Order: sequence, then structure tokens, then C-alpha cells
Amino acid sequence: MKISEDTLKIISQLSKLEIEDVMKDKILKELESILLMVDKMNEVDTSKIKPMSHPLNQAQNLREDIISENIERDKYIKNAPHSDNGYYLSPKVIEQK
Amino acid sequence: MSNPTSQSLIEQINLLEKKEISSLELTQLYLTNIEKNKDLNCFISLNDKALEEAKKIDKLKERKSLLQGIPLAHKDIFCAEGYKTTCGSKMLENFISPYSSTVFDKLKKSNSIMVGKTNMDEFAMGSSNETSYFGNVKNPINKKRSPGGSSGGSAAAVRANLCAFATGTDTGGSIRQPASFCGITGIKPTYGRVSRWGMVAFASSLDQAGIFAKSAIDASIALEIISGFDEKDSTSINENVPKLINETTSEMDHIIGIPFKLIEKINDYKVKQNFLDCIDLLKKNGIKTKEIDLPFIEYSLPAYYVIAPAECSANLSRYDGIKYGYRCENPKDLEDLYTRTRSEGFGEEVKKRILIGTYCLSAGYFDAYYLKAQKIRARITNSFKEAFKNVTVIAMPTCSNEAFELGSIQDPVKMYEQDIYTIPANLAGLPAISVPSGLINKMPLGLQFIGNHLDEGKILNISHEFQKITDYHVY
Repeated sequence: MKISEDTLKIISQLSKLEIEDVMKDKILKELESILLMVDKMNEVDTSKIKPMSHPLNQAQNLREDIISENIERDKYIKNAPHSDNGYYLSPKVIEQK
Repeated sequence: MSNPTSQSLIEQINLLEKKEISSLELTQLYLTNIEKNKDLNCFISLNDKALEEAKKIDKLKERKSLLQGIPLAHKDIFCAEGYKTTCGSKMLENFISPYSSTVFDKLKKSNSIMVGKTNMDEFAMGSSNETSYFGNVKNPINKKRSPGGSSGGSAAAVRANLCAFATGTDTGGSIRQPASFCGITGIKPTYGRVSRWGMVAFASSLDQAGIFAKSAIDASIALEIISGFDEKDSTSINENVPKLINETTSEMDHIIGIPFKLIEKINDYKVKQNFLDCIDLLKKNGIKTKEIDLPFIEYSLPAYYVIAPAECSANLSRYDGIKYGYRCENPKDLEDLYTRTRSEGFGEEVKKRILIGTYCLSAGYFDAYYLKAQKIRARITNSFKEAFKNVTVIAMPTCSNEAFELGSIQDPVKMYEQDIYTIPANLAGLPAISVPSGLINKMPLGLQFIGNHLDEGKILNISHEFQKITDYHVY
């Protein structure tokens, strides 16, 4: 599978990653070689096979919907790079007119 | 008395029980070894409270667990409240866990002592330890060689006697390949056997925690403690955990399944010969073998390199520079914050896998890649199911080579091929173990046993049988 520079641009935008110009050729080449290896999958007939998402085909466990612990806001927010008074800070997203 | 740090876990437990050594003395000896072997770069951080904790443990009147007072190391992927958990990444360089993983909690409750947190490939993505933001670990047997990855720090730490045993995680071979490279025992249990709560996520349907130790017996003791149902992990298995040390040492009748078609294709004749010699040795000791066929197993690598990156791209979307972790300087808007934080915070291999995953999951490609890979996963799992109708365990090499020189593999696909024999067990969720099987080119090699779901006891048992008739695990 050939990946175009445009496709790389789209997937890097979706991934919120910036690829430096000097790295583009190397990344494109590596992604292509990985996808070439992956394309071997097409040799397998999977027409009547159900996709498997859990290795033991087990349903997800659900627990009772009751409060199990208290949220300790101060403790958790300590790891935030920027916070104020219990709030996470991000750049402004709404512009003033 | 020889230095207790070079003894097995079971011998150390014996010394502690008889009070021939204190936990403080043992911990101090390990810390001395760690200091002397700094150049191996096994640890990302050390526990500066280790001696204090050991002193407290020594004051306890009763021994409540076999592991009481035993110094261990955790892969730096397990959250431990109040300690740094970096996952080998710049993104989490300063992250202090506000809660503990179930694995950490269980070992803490067993009164063992954490000496430190071990180095690893960034977000567990790598097979050489070279993707760690904190520099690679060196193989203690030959410092020019890779210790394997991603749990290379844990494997090297056990091999170099820097801890009695260590935890690790295995998504595609990250416990078994480093165990093979460092000449120790490494076990990945059944998917869901050990809780993933508090274990930094890479590929959630494949990630599983396990143990590095000097022998199958040692591994059985630690594995039993970390295993068991946990309602905090929605994929945890609600099944009782047997007394693993008893299963390891009991009499069992085995029929080892050998996928000869796969073995014939091994390129390196020394690796092939090593494997066949091991099987001959087991046969000579009265253990039965049977040829098995594992159709579709050669499609494990392609299926894995769709599923793992796809799940990685979803899991790693949480690193946004807002809630925790690295944040870029002076973002001009939210988009810039996200993009620069992630571009500066992630290393090259992680970015590559996020891109692959995003591509495979993007509109128009989902069916062709992710869905197709999940169907192949079902076929591979079925071929194991068929095989286990006739055999108790399956044997194959852990790796197609011994530890390679650091920096010698640059092609990503060549690096991914490191895991061709380990990935199938992850896709099928099966327990698998690597035990030392001798040396080639003066470096250790591993023999892998794969068991049916929940059969950790059987693979530990056959590994113990093998270790009774070999001394490759003694050094």
C-alpha cells in the first residue's frame, strides 16, 4: 500500500502529531514497509469468521453502579501542568468579538 | 555464605523465615548491587524509602506472606501512589501516580519491598529497550548487547542480581523476549489473569502483566500473588487462582505439542538445533511429544501490527498536555497545544505506531485492516484450540536469535520480527513462559512453552521439569 504525502498529512492531523519536513520521507518509507508486511493478511480467507476482540471471548464485567470511592480533586489535579483553583487550564477556545 | 542476592527467591525466603538474614540486610545488599551496576541503566527511579520499609517489615512478629521482606523491582509502567511512573517517556517524565495499580498494591500487601522502577521502551513499544527516553538498558551478560524489550530493565535487573524478582508486561513478547536475551525465566499469564488496573495502557486487548525470576518455582510464587479477579479491570477473569507453587512441583503427565512446520522454517541453524536438543532432552526424560499444526500462525505478525497500533492510537489520545504529563511552552491555541505537546512529548517509535493505528482505523480502512486483523486473530486462536485437544503444552523457541548488538537493527519491520514466536500467545490470550535453553555465540537463548487458557500451572510445571534436568538457569 502506497501512502501519499496528502494521506500522511491527514493522519498526522487526526493524530495531533506534527511531522517535520526532514522526517517525512523516512516516516513515509517506514509506514509503507510496515503496511506492506501487514498486507499479507489478505492471503487469509476470513469470509465466514467473526472478528475477535477479547481473547477469551468473554463479555466485559460490569459492577454495581454505586459510588466506590471519593474523587479527590486536589490530589488528581496536582499532576496538571497548569491549573487554577481546582480547574484545568487550557488556552482560550472562545474568541471575543 | 555466598551473597544472598545471587540465590534464588525460594532460598531467600528460607533465609528470612529462619531469620538468618533480615529484610534490611537483604535490601541493603541489593541497593549496593544497584549502585555498583548503575552503568546498566536498569532503573528509572529508586525507592528512597526501601530501607525504612524493610526495617518496619523486620519488626513484624509474623510472616503473613512468602514474599514478606523480599526486595523486588517494578517495571515503570505500574502506577504506584506517590512514586513517579514515566513509562519510559518524556511525556510522563514528571508524572507522580495519584493511585496505585492492583499489581503494585498486591505486592505491597504481601509485605515485599520495592527497590525501584525499571527502565523500558517508551510506552512498552520496542523490542530492544532503545526507544526509552531515559536511554537503553545494557545486557548484563554483554554490555554491547540489547537486554531485549520492552521490559528490558526488569530482565536485566533480575539477571544482574539487582532484585529478587521483577514485574513486567507483555503485549507481544515484552516479557519473554528480554527473559530469553538475559537468560532468565519470564512468564506472561493468560489474558485477564492479572489485573490491568493502574498499568499504563498500550494495546488493551493484548496487554498482560507477568513476572521475571530466576526459575519457574520462583516465578510461580510471585505470579500467584499478583493474579486474581479485580472488578476494577473489566476484562479481568473471575476464576480462582490455584496454588501455583504446588502445580509447578507436582507430578503431571505432559504431551508437548511441537509445530514442526514452523520449526523447519527457522533460519538460524544454531537456534533450530538448540530447540531440537531441548526437545530431545525432554523426550529422554520420558516426556511425550506430538507433532501439531498451527495454521495461520504466520499471519500473527501482520495481524498484531494492525491491532496493537490501532489500540495504541486510541489509548495514547489521552496525552493532551492538559490533565497530566508534558505540556509544550506558550501554545498559541488549543490545537497548537495538543499538536506540539504530543510532537515534543512522544518519541519516534511511539509516533510511528500512532500514525499506523490512526491510518488503520480511519474512514475507509477500518474493515480492510482492523476488522480483518480481528478475524485473523479468531482463526489463530481456533488453531491453538484445536491443538490443545491433543497436547498439554506447546513448545517453540522464544526468539529467532540471541541478544543482538545495540543499534544493529534499524529497519522497523526487522525489529518487529523479533516477536514472531511470542505474538501468537498474545493474540490468543494464552499463558506463555520463556526459560533459558543454553547458549549460542556466548549469549543465552530461550525455550518457550505455551499453555491453554488458565493453564499457568502446566507451563510452570513443564518449565520446572526442564529446569530439573538442566542448569542453564543457574549462574
